[in-house]
Amino acid sequence: MKSTKLLAKSTRSSKTLIGIVVAFLFMLPIAWVFSNSLRPGSETFTWLDPLSWKTFFPDNPNFDNYFALVDTSLGQGIANSLWTTFLTLIFGLTLCAGAAFALAALEYRGRQLLFSLVIFSLLIPFDAIAIPLASIFKDLGLQDTVAGLILPGVANGMAIFLLRTFFLGIPKELVEASRIDGLGWFGVFFRIYLPLSKPALVGASLVLFLFQWHAYIWPLLIGTGDNTLLGPIALANMKSQYAVDYGMLFAGAILLSVVPLVMILAGQKYFIQSSATSGIK
Amino acid sequence: MARGFGLMIYWRSGLKKKELYWALLVFLAPAVLALILMRIIPAAQALIESLFKTNVFSGEKTFIGLENYFSLFANPDFQNTLFVTIVFALLVNPIQVFSALLLALLFVRKFPFSRFLRSLIIFPVAVPPAVSAVMWSAIYRPDGLANSILEALGLAPQGFILDQRQALMSIIVMLSWIGVGYWMLFLIAGLNDIPDEIYEAARIDGAGYLRQTVSVTMPLLIRPLSFVLVATTISNFLVFAPVLILTRGGPVGSTSLLMYDIFVRAYSFGDVGRANAGVFILVLLMITAVSLQFFLLRKGNQQ
Repeated sequence: MKSTKLLAKSTRSSKTLIGIVVAFLFMLPIAWVFSNSLRPGSETFTWLDPLSWKTFFPDNPNFDNYFALVDTSLGQGIANSLWTTFLTLIFGLTLCAGAAFALAALEYRGRQLLFSLVIFSLLIPFDAIAIPLASIFKDLGLQDTVAGLILPGVANGMAIFLLRTFFLGIPKELVEASRIDGLGWFGVFFRIYLPLSKPALVGASLVLFLFQWHAYIWPLLIGTGDNTLLGPIALANMKSQYAVDYGMLFAGAILLSVVPLVMILAGQKYFIQSSATSGIK
Repeated sequence: MARGFGLMIYWRSGLKKKELYWALLVFLAPAVLALILMRIIPAAQALIESLFKTNVFSGEKTFIGLENYFSLFANPDFQNTLFVTIVFALLVNPIQVFSALLLALLFVRKFPFSRFLRSLIIFPVAVPPAVSAVMWSAIYRPDGLANSILEALGLAPQGFILDQRQALMSIIVMLSWIGVGYWMLFLIAGLNDIPDEIYEAARIDGAGYLRQTVSVTMPLLIRPLSFVLVATTISNFLVFAPVLILTRGGPVGSTSLLMYDIFVRAYSFGDVGRANAGVFILVLLMITAVSLQFFLLRKGNQQ
């Protein structure tokens, strides 16, 4: 008995060891980018030859590169990303939660058909149709507008699917009782469904958020003006310039990564829960 | 009186119906309309435009049937793109699913610091794909971090994205760094769903860890595994930003993936017809790959 316990203990510590090595490898690129965002861009590649602890630990770490971003198109792009993603989240959540409610709680003919339409739209990969959609948007005068940037992201089949699955689990008796008490459908939605669905709402928010924040091809096609150039595109533009300041470039990369990281960590528990219960089973 | 009461019921049910229509209009109509306008119509339009030839100067459209498809398949550059895309898919998807599986097996049971280490592996998922590409463009530079590490290990420096034979693999490594932690989460959720009693029974029968993994875990994990395989396949067919930012399809077309080829056709050549034919070929390729996977998995399940 004692030996099996000892064995279990040694497996656990060897797992920790393997875990540390793997996590170290995954973090290496980010650690390097972060440390170089804290030193002047002229020194980015000078500390690599040879590799030493100084490669990852600057002598005088400071946030100068971050402050220098304020007046650049990259700084503006990050601000634009924050604004468009915020709008996508607000409109998207309203739209998707409403649709999910109508597909889960209301009863009418054609409900199944409309749900199939949502599933069908889910099967069309957005990136693949971005190019034909962009030419439609240009004809409609939506090129270089904030509306043009957010519109494709607000009706998200995955978010609707996730919310609908959760809504189906809310007991019908609850709805019937409140209907008899004279509550309208809007009341049922706002007073019963929304307050009970926090995990699914967090999961759907994360889906909507990542769709917009990580988008590349769509904002590349639609947004090129001062107010519509998004962070990732501005970052790639900066990288392709002739003289690149890697200090600032990496500061921008870190800022563009920290925002989704905070969102994911905040919603991680709900997200795994909801995608595990609706995505796989 | 009785008639009045009947009317009252009639009036109330009419009101209820009216309320339902209003609710449908407010709750459902906007999302359905948006999905039709921004998913289904552009998909249909891509299909239709792939059958037309558009004059670059006059914008005039002429119906030419499947001519765009024939000329694409006859084009050596496009043949190369298809070849690269298929080789890429055959490499990247098994690599990602297998790595995600190994990580899930490592992280499914708690050990000291497991939660913290697990969240470090998920970190790259947060980084937008275009931002990852920019980071890795610096890492893969001849004087960048990757060669610096090789040198510290006493190995010869490599060309990575500048080398025709290494560029595709360099992109695969980067994409796996981004995605593997994310797919691991789904497999951990799947592993947690396997009841402990089954392992208990296997242990009593004398099965070791390896035996348990092969005979108990794998068959019961087939659903989440196939989900992850299908999802990686779809997302990897759509890889675009890394190609545009890191290699622009080069060197010598060795990383010319289909999404990038479509983009170049539409925007650099203004060849809308063939670009849309490319979109449709991409979708067909995805459907074929996914149905093939389902077919093989079902066959594997029956045996």
